Amino acid sequence: MASRSELISKSNQSKNLITYIIIAVVFLVALWLSTQSDGPSKFPKEVTDKFTFTAWVNDGEDYLKKNYRWITKIIANYIKNGYYFIEDFLIDSPWILVASMIVLPCLIAGGLRLGLYSCFVIYFWGAVGMWNESLQTVGLMGLSVLLCVFFGIILGILCSQSDRFEKFMKPILDTMQVMPAFVYLFPALFFFGIGGAPAILATMIYAMPPIIRLTNTGIRQVSEQTIESATSFGSSKLQLLLKIKIPLSLPSIMMGINQVIMMALALVVLACFIGAEGIGGQVWLAIRNLDVGWAMEGGLCILFMAIMFDRFSMSFSKQEATLPSDVQKFYLLPQSWEKYQIARLLEKPLSIIHSIIQYVCIKTTNFVAYIFNFLISFINKSTANDIAEIISRRFYIIPSFIIFFIISIIDTNIFQFGSFPEEWKLSIRQPIADGVKALTVHPGFISFTKGLRGFVYLNLLHPLDIFLTHIPWWYTMAVFIAISYFTVGLRFALITAVLLVFIGACGIWPQSMITLSSVLVSVVLCFAIGVPLGIIASYNERYRNIQNVVLDAMQTLPYFCYLIPVLMFFGGGIVSAVLATVIYSIPPIIRLTALGLTQVSGTYSEVSRSFGGTLIQTLNKVKFPLAVPSLVVGFNQTVIMAFAMQIVTPLIGGKGLGLEVFNGLARSDTGRGLAAGIGIVLLAIIIDRISLAWTKKQREALGL
Amino acid sequence: MKLSKTISAMILSLILVLGSFGTANAKRLTAAVADWTGGEITCQVAVSILEEELGYKVKRVVFPSGTGLWEAIAAGEIDFACESWPSYAEADTVMLKGPLVYDGETKFMYEGDGSVKLLGTAGIIGLSDYYIPRYAAESLGIKTWKDLNKHKAKFATIESGKRGRLIACPVAGWNCHDQKRLDLLGIDFQADELGTEAAAIAEAVAAYERKEPFLLYLWEPHWFFGAYDMVGVQLPDHKTCESFTEANNWKDCGTAAWPATGWAKDYTMNYGNPETFAKPEHAKAAEFFSKMKFDNADQAVMLVEVKQKNRDLKEVVKEWKDANPDKWKSWLPN
Repeated sequence: MASRSELISKSNQSKNLITYIIIAVVFLVALWLSTQSDGPSKFPKEVTDKFTFTAWVNDGEDYLKKNYRWITKIIANYIKNGYYFIEDFLIDSPWILVASMIVLPCLIAGGLRLGLYSCFVIYFWGAVGMWNESLQTVGLMGLSVLLCVFFGIILGILCSQSDRFEKFMKPILDTMQVMPAFVYLFPALFFFGIGGAPAILATMIYAMPPIIRLTNTGIRQVSEQTIESATSFGSSKLQLLLKIKIPLSLPSIMMGINQVIMMALALVVLACFIGAEGIGGQVWLAIRNLDVGWAMEGGLCILFMAIMFDRFSMSFSKQEATLPSDVQKFYLLPQSWEKYQIARLLEKPLSIIHSIIQYVCIKTTNFVAYIFNFLISFINKSTANDIAEIISRRFYIIPSFIIFFIISIIDTNIFQFGSFPEEWKLSIRQPIADGVKALTVHPGFISFTKGLRGFVYLNLLHPLDIFLTHIPWWYTMAVFIAISYFTVGLRFALITAVLLVFIGACGIWPQSMITLSSVLVSVVLCFAIGVPLGIIASYNERYRNIQNVVLDAMQTLPYFCYLIPVLMFFGGGIVSAVLATVIYSIPPIIRLTALGLTQVSGTYSEVSRSFGGTLIQTLNKVKFPLAVPSLVVGFNQTVIMAFAMQIVTPLIGGKGLGLEVFNGLARSDTGRGLAAGIGIVLLAIIIDRISLAWTKKQREALGL
Repeated sequence: MKLSKTISAMILSLILVLGSFGTANAKRLTAAVADWTGGEITCQVAVSILEEELGYKVKRVVFPSGTGLWEAIAAGEIDFACESWPSYAEADTVMLKGPLVYDGETKFMYEGDGSVKLLGTAGIIGLSDYYIPRYAAESLGIKTWKDLNKHKAKFATIESGKRGRLIACPVAGWNCHDQKRLDLLGIDFQADELGTEAAAIAEAVAAYERKEPFLLYLWEPHWFFGAYDMVGVQLPDHKTCESFTEANNWKDCGTAAWPATGWAKDYTMNYGNPETFAKPEHAKAAEFFSKMKFDNADQAVMLVEVKQKNRDLKEVVKEWKDANPDKWKSWLPN
């Protein structure tokens, strides 16, 4: 036995050696080839001239514009009118009404903590002077979430009822979830032009997968017994669906809505690039003006809004913990503080207020219910009773309506609230700008940023740029195809070949190599920074908890908020673009390093320790090899995020395909923009598939 | 009870937003926010008059200028944009129709398809060139662009390597063709597009403060000239090149004409969607635009306020409006 396993490990070793040698040879040949050529390698002119993808797209767009724009215009107009209606209502209503319409649902659904938090968020919107823009974003998001949930639930129900339809939808949903958000903006731009309406449509489609999936699984998970008993009582198929299955799968659907809201918010903000209004536009304007404070205000508005909507929609799928009767319920402070006398004292008035409000609410609702009962009973007794019962059950909603009503009556008759009061404004723009300026003129800091810029550019970015753009295209392509053949298989190797030929034939080979080098440098830096942080987190739980909060916040922010800190300290330029990419795409690598290392079961490290391994040895020889699959997943996610970031980095001086996308947009050259956008996605897909397949192999090798 | 609460809150938040008492539709226009500060100011002047004097509700969309913007205006997705500089706009000859009149004098006759309407002159007269700081011009003895090559090493950065660097026209949609011009004129410099005006200016300010030589693309009116002493490198006088269009695959006319020359004097204009401004309800807005004539001196003062003193643009425009009612009252429709 022993000799056999030795043999295997030996053959593995020699196999590894051969692989390394091959890699080294391939690399050396590439290096030699790249020094041979004097200019960037380009695809043969005969091919790029014949394959005029750009022109085809533009011709197609012209054709569409001439012949079918009226249809898309009608659709867009419907959506636009709906949106304008919401926007007018939100912006023109007295601000107190809008505020209470956000705070009260939060208060009802999420309790006092969320209620107070939402008050703070709303105050912040107004205080930094982004009241209108925030409400525009809320309106855009609200409408797209509404449409998305409507169509998503229908599709989800269809999926749950028909296996064939589910099979048809599954690959579509899978692909949709891999695609970066911006991909959805191109078709919207192509068919519907620029503005809010295409943004809503794109958002609707982008955010739909989770709701379809969760509706489907929710309905499918309703237990057999429940269905059995319902059918035995003689309910029809439709009744079964509407009365039993959907109500029982509500928690799952709610979770879907939560995800829809978060995804919609992210894309709505990004949609400023196709002319949608809202905070996204403000952040873009701020970046255009290099105004860090302004950009920060916009970014914080988005962050706070995202957290608020997240908690709000989460509170629906969360079950309230039931407390033992002798424990006082806490409304504001953490329940775990119940053991302290002072906390109990502080909470006392709150619980009294709560019971008073509840009492008043129930009484008012019952009163309203009674009036309705009385009025309708003249017509029909039994409907009157039904309606009264329906009303009296909603003892929070009716008082809320009454409050709204009172506010609007006061506003129209007695006192005009108008827009958010100017006196409450509190700009953090200037302090932030001053702080940053104070730091950026500090000589030590200047030499640090300059040194970092110089280092990243001279040692990483520039050589890699030259290397990748100067290797002949056929060589790079062959290497990619070979890698995908050995990791994934023949079919994917062929697909890789086709995709790369497409990129080359579009005439964007040099740009895509620049993008690739930016992404690679970013990923390398992500590893250099992220892995140590992950290691620290895996050893120190308190640090991990703090870090997780930060990472959570980072992952809720939309892409281009990451441009802000970089812009602050490093100014514009290609290095800044890389650094912004690093900040955006680092969370998964930190998380997954920590996860991989903590998951390595205690016994392994115990065994290694007992054999006298030092901390470093344990980490190096035992933990890391076992955590490799997790690390590769982190690598995979980081790469995808880094590619997605390429679309916004041109705002601060990024080059490559992202810049092509922007140029296409500005010059109304949809074909050019589309080709570059597709190029980014294709590169991302190739690397994604290769690294996923590699993870699978590693897992199998480790016997996991 | 939890579920009932849940449903209550849901209904509350959704139905109310939708089924609420909508307000009467105000007169609306959508405007593009220009991507340079001067244009932003001109646009804010126009927008504030439309909003405060003519009762409009103007929605401002952030969009890069360039042909994409012109097409969006032609399609009616954006209603108007301000202060277009003719020598930067490549779509103007194709899409505008009619004369560009300044002080009663026809400066240019457009013969396009009329898919975009020339609303009137903006009043700003622009000049563009490449500039170097005076200290560099004096110490290196650079008089014209012809002397740049001799000192290219002094203008080099990490990124440009052996060649000099031009802090170029920052926005791709402006169609400056800087690299093409440098190549045609045989200036061994690299054009560096930094993405935004602010980024380019920040780079220039940093270089000026370190007293390094640098070559900067810039235009007048701009606040930078008030704060820093710059001299132009006198690019060859502007001559048009008929074949240098996208349809002709950018066939340049050699060193005799554009883009191997400098820019023409720019008589700027406002432009909009023809259908929107033909509607009777927007007749007053159209009349306002035909009368509006802002000027360089006023814009220059406001540029300093906004960019150097870091003040809010809307506030500055409001102040100007309050202080100079005689200037803009005459633009109002009768």
